[in-house]
Amino acid sequence: MTTTHTQTDGLAIEVRDLRKSYGEVEAVRGVSFEVSRGEVFCLLGPNGAGKTTTVEILEGYRTRTGGEARVLGLDPADGRRELREHVGIVLQQSGVQTDLTVTELIEMYGRYYSRRRPVDELIELVELGEKRDTRARDLSGGQRRRLDLALGLVGDPDLLFLDEPTTGFDPGARRQAWSTIRSLCDLGKTVFLTTHYMDEAQHLANRVAVMNAGQIIALGRPEELGGRDLRPAEIRFSLPEAWSLGDLPDVPFEQRTLEGDRVLVATKEPVVAAQRITTWALDHEVDLGHFSVTQPSLEDIYLELTKSVMENEQTVEEAIR
Amino acid sequence: MSAVATTGAKRDVGLVAWQIRYEQRAFWRNRTRGFFTFVFPLMFLVIFASLDKSSHIKSLGGIPYDEFFVPGILAYGVITTSYVNMAISTAILRDQGVLKRMQGTPLPRWAYVAARVGSTALIVLAMTVITLGLGAVLYGVHVRASTLPGLIVTLVLGTAVFTTLGIGIARLIPNPEAAPVVVNLTVFPLTFISSVWFPANGMPKALVDIANVFPIRPLADGLERAFNPYTTGAGLNAHDLRTLAIWAAVGIFLMLRFLRKPLGETG
Repeated sequence: MTTTHTQTDGLAIEVRDLRKSYGEVEAVRGVSFEVSRGEVFCLLGPNGAGKTTTVEILEGYRTRTGGEARVLGLDPADGRRELREHVGIVLQQSGVQTDLTVTELIEMYGRYYSRRRPVDELIELVELGEKRDTRARDLSGGQRRRLDLALGLVGDPDLLFLDEPTTGFDPGARRQAWSTIRSLCDLGKTVFLTTHYMDEAQHLANRVAVMNAGQIIALGRPEELGGRDLRPAEIRFSLPEAWSLGDLPDVPFEQRTLEGDRVLVATKEPVVAAQRITTWALDHEVDLGHFSVTQPSLEDIYLELTKSVMENEQTVEEAIR
Repeated sequence: MSAVATTGAKRDVGLVAWQIRYEQRAFWRNRTRGFFTFVFPLMFLVIFASLDKSSHIKSLGGIPYDEFFVPGILAYGVITTSYVNMAISTAILRDQGVLKRMQGTPLPRWAYVAARVGSTALIVLAMTVITLGLGAVLYGVHVRASTLPGLIVTLVLGTAVFTTLGIGIARLIPNPEAAPVVVNLTVFPLTFISSVWFPANGMPKALVDIANVFPIRPLADGLERAFNPYTTGAGLNAHDLRTLAIWAAVGIFLMLRFLRKPLGETG
């Protein structure tokens, strides 16, 4: 008997030129990426970008029409039980047997796995202690989502797929979920996250891939994505009426505007610029209101990336016409 | 290698038993569903019996009507608890994404379906015990020991047919709202020409021919034979059993097709 064991080191996910067509429509057009063990990898993209198709191929729910995919060293298309033993899946919309209680569901699903985490530990992790004997039917949306997370973790997976894990959470619950996910990484788990919350990606992901129109258009660390770290920082403040742009000290800038009393200085040397401006303000006793220095946000970059591709798409369509 | 395989198989059988436990727990805990699954056929049992206590059925050797409708209601009860219940609950589980979730776990798909079938068989058993109990207490209708084999074989085959068909037909149900309509439309009209509510004798030949194609008639006839005091032998009829066996094969085929498709997808 030949036994193939899931790899315990190296890459958690390996995708090469992945393709999926539905009839004439090509939903995924040659996607390649790798996810290392212990990494939180985030797939971002607008609706219809091919995110769900890509993830469902990796989860074994769909078959690919081209390219290669390896999950924990195995081909997800084979539908091997061994793979399902080591992968946890938290889908966006998947119900549970609603007449069973939280404890019963965790017990029931846990039995399917040869390795499993203790029921009490999971209930504590997702903070459903007070609801442990409540039927799933009577849980709130957020509690259901936390139960989903517990069921995804019940088999103590090496790799966890999380699809929009905090949709519908209030800000407090979201922070809690994030800290739970972070604690998984400390245990050496790999997390494959899809979300359309930029702050979630920013907070959790080691690397982010942006998908649009079936392709990956940017891939990198959240702080570097799309050359984010190379873009000018923006210094903003309000200038009292007696002063104008020309009175400001000489600073390196890419762009400098005054709208009403609001000044915007875009600069690649924010430290130098901020120091000169604040020194000048102190020397001349100018009260600069709402002073702030910001890097372009992940959201700015994301919108820019997905927008330019959409415009490209349009020009392609127009060209064909 | 064989040792490993045996351990694996043993574990899977244990998983089926485990899953049956939770399927049962979920079924009985939903009181409304449990109540109506049982109350519907049993309501007919009471209504029919109160209609005419003294009538006899000439075409069946003049047996009292009671001895006809108790097995008729039992046939209907088997169909509601297996076919109707299975088809509707499968449509709901698929719609809610439970099937998709199950597919993502290491529980083998066959083990999950086997547990659902096994759990349904237990519900059919409960229905049978209640119907026969009520029939005996209220109307003094008893199965005789000699025809017990006929009763058991018909019940087992009938349950197999209607449980597997219930899973198979779930493919044709686009959404849970449509489930009761599809399910009742495929069952209810047939019960009227299949000797469930009243004997089918004297019906136009065309209707008899239609009824003979489907599995409801042989189920009802098989059960009625077990109760009829004029039945000789064990109450086994080759024609009825053959029809049921063929439908069991059809049901299993449709169920396997259902199993091959990803559980989360319709069609």
